[in-house]
Amino acid sequence: MSSSRRNRITDEEINDLISKLQSLLPESRRRNTSRASASKLLKETCSYIKSLHREVDDLSDRLSELMATMDNNSPQAEIIRSLLRS
Amino acid sequence: MVISNLEGEIASKEGERKRKRKGEVRPSQSKWRLDSEQKTYSSKLLEALRCVRAGAPAEPSRTRAVREAANRALAMAARGQTRWSRAILSSRTLKLTAAKRRRAAASRLKRSGGASQEKKRPPAIQRKARVLGKLVPGCRQLSFPKLLEETSDYIAALEMQVRAMSALSEILSSIGSGSGAPPPA
Repeated sequence: MSSSRRNRITDEEINDLISKLQSLLPESRRRNTSRASASKLLKETCSYIKSLHREVDDLSDRLSELMATMDNNSPQAEIIRSLLRS
Repeated sequence: MVISNLEGEIASKEGERKRKRKGEVRPSQSKWRLDSEQKTYSSKLLEALRCVRAGAPAEPSRTRAVREAANRALAMAARGQTRWSRAILSSRTLKLTAAKRRRAAASRLKRSGGASQEKKRPPAIQRKARVLGKLVPGCRQLSFPKLLEETSDYIAALEMQVRAMSALSEILSSIGSGSGAPPPA
């Protein structure tokens, strides 16, 4: 029952969800296209998530390196914490 | 007297919040833009990083440990409200090989099933929706609308994660250069 219902989602519902998705993507906010195709939006969403993953990977790498310098001074952790709090 | 009233208030507020969250997904998505949320995340991440530093000295595994710590802290910030966050918390690196096997089997199934499913939606969209489902943790088998809901929350969370990690690395690099201590050779 539930699987056949899944296939019969109305086009209207899909369009509604797609427009919500469009508002998430940074480029579409700038370009302000009213009707990008669902297929294109899905593709952009996928590549956006992949680029975010890559950024996280790069940042993890950088943080991993920087952590080595953290080793020597534990008062640094206090400074960082207070900076984060402000 | 006062204390018990306060507890009662807190309990009822939490109950309210929980009820609201069950009905609407939207408010939880905008929370990722809050400064307070990012600060909380940054502190938790910092704590996790100190544990990583203590536990994993070698270079390649440390980066992976950092990423896992960052993802776990992000998932915890979601407070169990989303599928992707629960998937991150319940899985570890062990799931990688199982996921690869599942992917191989699923692509075989999809190719045989895709030809007969041309009724309502063009296969291109289905294909891309599957790709999306693989990118968002724990969302492979999700219906299309649910997948889009999870995706929107996941993207907002990832953006916050990137902002927080960038800020943290800025702080660490500026402190590191200012401390005057030479890096270990």
